[in-house]
Amino acid sequence: MTEMNMVQAINDALRLEMRRDDRVVVLGEDVGKVGGVFRVTQGLYDEFGDDRVIDTPLAEGGIIGAAIGMALYGLRPVPEIQFADFIFPAFDQIVSEAAKYRYRSGGEYTCPMVIRTPVGGGIRGGHYHSQSPESLFIHTAGLKVVCPSNPYDAKGLLLSAIRDEDPVLFFEPKRVYRAAKGEVPEGEYTIPLSEAKVVREGKHVTVVAWGAMLYEALASAEEVSAREGIEAEVIDLRTLWPLDLDTIVESVKKTGRVVVVHEAPKTCGFGAEILTLINEKAFLHLEAPPVRVTGWDTPFPYTLEMDYLPLQHRITPALIETAKF
Amino acid sequence: MAIFDFKLPDIGEGVTEGEIVAWSVKAGDVVKEDDPMVEVMTDKATVTIGAPKAGTIASLGGAVGQVVKVGAVLVQIELGGAGTASSAATSAAAPAANHAPPAMHTAVASGVPAAKSDGPAATAVGDIRESLPGSSFFTKKAPAAPAPAAPAVAAAPAYFAEKPLATPATRKLAREAGVDLRSVRPTGANGRVTREDVQAFAAKGASAGPDAQAHAYAQLPAEVRGVAASSAAASSAAASAFAGAPGTSGARAPIAVVAPTPAQAARETRKPFVGIRRKIAERMQTSKNTAAHFTFVEECDVTRLKELHARLKPHADARDTKLTYLPFIVKAVVAALKRAPILNSALDEVTNELVTRHYYNIGIAASTDQGLMVPVVRDADTLSILEVSREIDRLGRGARAGTLSSAELSGSTFTVTSLGKQGGLFATPILNFPEVGILGVHQIKQRPIVRDGQIVIGEVMLLSLSFDHRIVDGHVGAAFAYDIIGMLEEPDRLFLELA
Repeated sequence: MTEMNMVQAINDALRLEMRRDDRVVVLGEDVGKVGGVFRVTQGLYDEFGDDRVIDTPLAEGGIIGAAIGMALYGLRPVPEIQFADFIFPAFDQIVSEAAKYRYRSGGEYTCPMVIRTPVGGGIRGGHYHSQSPESLFIHTAGLKVVCPSNPYDAKGLLLSAIRDEDPVLFFEPKRVYRAAKGEVPEGEYTIPLSEAKVVREGKHVTVVAWGAMLYEALASAEEVSAREGIEAEVIDLRTLWPLDLDTIVESVKKTGRVVVVHEAPKTCGFGAEILTLINEKAFLHLEAPPVRVTGWDTPFPYTLEMDYLPLQHRITPALIETAKF
Repeated sequence: MAIFDFKLPDIGEGVTEGEIVAWSVKAGDVVKEDDPMVEVMTDKATVTIGAPKAGTIASLGGAVGQVVKVGAVLVQIELGGAGTASSAATSAAAPAANHAPPAMHTAVASGVPAAKSDGPAATAVGDIRESLPGSSFFTKKAPAAPAPAAPAVAAAPAYFAEKPLATPATRKLAREAGVDLRSVRPTGANGRVTREDVQAFAAKGASAGPDAQAHAYAQLPAEVRGVAASSAAASSAAASAFAGAPGTSGARAPIAVVAPTPAQAARETRKPFVGIRRKIAERMQTSKNTAAHFTFVEECDVTRLKELHARLKPHADARDTKLTYLPFIVKAVVAALKRAPILNSALDEVTNELVTRHYYNIGIAASTDQGLMVPVVRDADTLSILEVSREIDRLGRGARAGTLSSAELSGSTFTVTSLGKQGGLFATPILNFPEVGILGVHQIKQRPIVRDGQIVIGEVMLLSLSFDHRIVDGHVGAAFAYDIIGMLEEPDRLFLELA
């Protein structure tokens, strides 16, 4: 076991998988010689050379389009979009092509690729380096969406994602990149996609979170435990889609109360879907209206970053109100 | 379109609220200025309120039976011309929307400007239809006016309401426990039935008590229960009784009237307890619950009054005035009140002061088809017997016709209740609270009486005087009664009281 941060854990996963499977190719802006703006691909260029670690032009549509071609021809491309905010030029390629190959071909072809991209705010990134567009991709049938919260999960989930036969959006919470450190096993291991994890057990209220907001949710859970004796059960989704609904429903049946936390704007955010599913699956167990604590329905601001994010000071009152409803 | 909020106006006399008795309009109705909209009953009078402006009724501020505070929105009126602009726009837009989609789709698919389609011209899309299941929905004639909306404020959601408030989990618990949520008294926030409420109710089972009665009520056939439950008055009355509203005795639980069998229930009829009847009930209850009533009864030999009345009647007839005994009694009461001002007083419970009125407004209880009303002869001390007679006649007609104003129905300082030909022997009148005295006048009968040592036939009337014993001592009340009796037995004494 080695202590790693998330950048190191993802780098480790890429390196291991590239050693194990020579079909794995990394491509993107500055992923080669520079090693990525966040240094996630550092050292890969030196080890695997410029035909497996490809510096591309600044053209996201081209990066994804090329990766789709690689996937269809049998490679396992892992393209990087430097910030999730920049993914929109490639949106058409992802939605219209990558997501549909399995369906258009009646299951004859798949499009195995992992689009790695940093998401989220809280790093003074402003409008174009802070967004969380996960719900756009969850809404697009044919894609899988992953968002790890810690180094251990990041490595295990990335290895599963690369080995998956379908296109995966792999969102890396950049606020967590170097902030969370943990023991990560050397060598390969996988964490199955679509398995959420109960990271804190509790009986009074369920909190669903992922990525960077998981830490805020946990801080709130500790706060309300100390202040009010409210024991929150905190679930880290890890894979956003396909959703591990069973774990959520099981918890809500126990607590009768649920708060979903995410950075993205509230309207049509993934929280809306989660709460709707809870209403469908656990309606008769509800003791309080399900609640969302989310970013506001505005573009992500630069100056008011800490007011926009659903941080501990906003989650705590929601937990108390829901628990005491 | 601008929405005009019409608020219940302050019509004076300290009126703070009014009960909606009847709506003449519903949402969607077009009204002209002054068109009657709603009948509102204030403390005593029922007034018809007309539309302040022309327009379309947008929403009603309450259901029949609901009490509206002065200043609360009574009705919303959408201002402007025909008042149907928005609905007209909707109906105009709907058919257009119906025709548009097929044409547009054809154009897009075929790349040809919207030529009349001779069939699917699309190449990229296999099947462009000219109609779809359900598309006829838009070809239906749109209604000229929006459907009448349900009253904006429906029956107060309250304890025993048809839709009790509870979380889904509590509902599941209640269902499993066989508990009807309508039967459970809510203790949760915002009137919610809580898990604990259901558990407590289930544990108590069908034991006696108000909840059990209510439970029995809930078990009534829906058609029977529906009559009462659909009435705002019924549910709000039940709610206010629990809330300890004014006029009810504290936190007493409302008592349901429940037939033992559905068959028997089917032979009952129910109607909302609203309007003047409910107002009378509230006022009577307030009076009985507050004042310490005692009633003093004594005979009065009105032989001479009867003779005097017979002599004066032609004079009154000549002046087109119907003379009764009541004006004599009113004048006697006023004269007695001047000598016993405590009987013309009231207790201000807020300031803890006894307020003596140096004006003499005599309420005259009158029975009407709607119920008991008490029009007021104002400043009776300044009026002649003939003038009092005319005023009583006018007020009596007005009360029966329902045309009296709030001012004519309030502000009395002492009340006389005459039971007329069916006056009986005596009664125990209930004070017109917060007045401290009320005089009941009964039937005049021929009776043997002793006069100058002889048994003679006398014209005898009994007077029943009720007092508020908190303020009026027994001997004070008795002296007041004998003062009146003295003047009625020797009516020429009234000359001495002429102003």
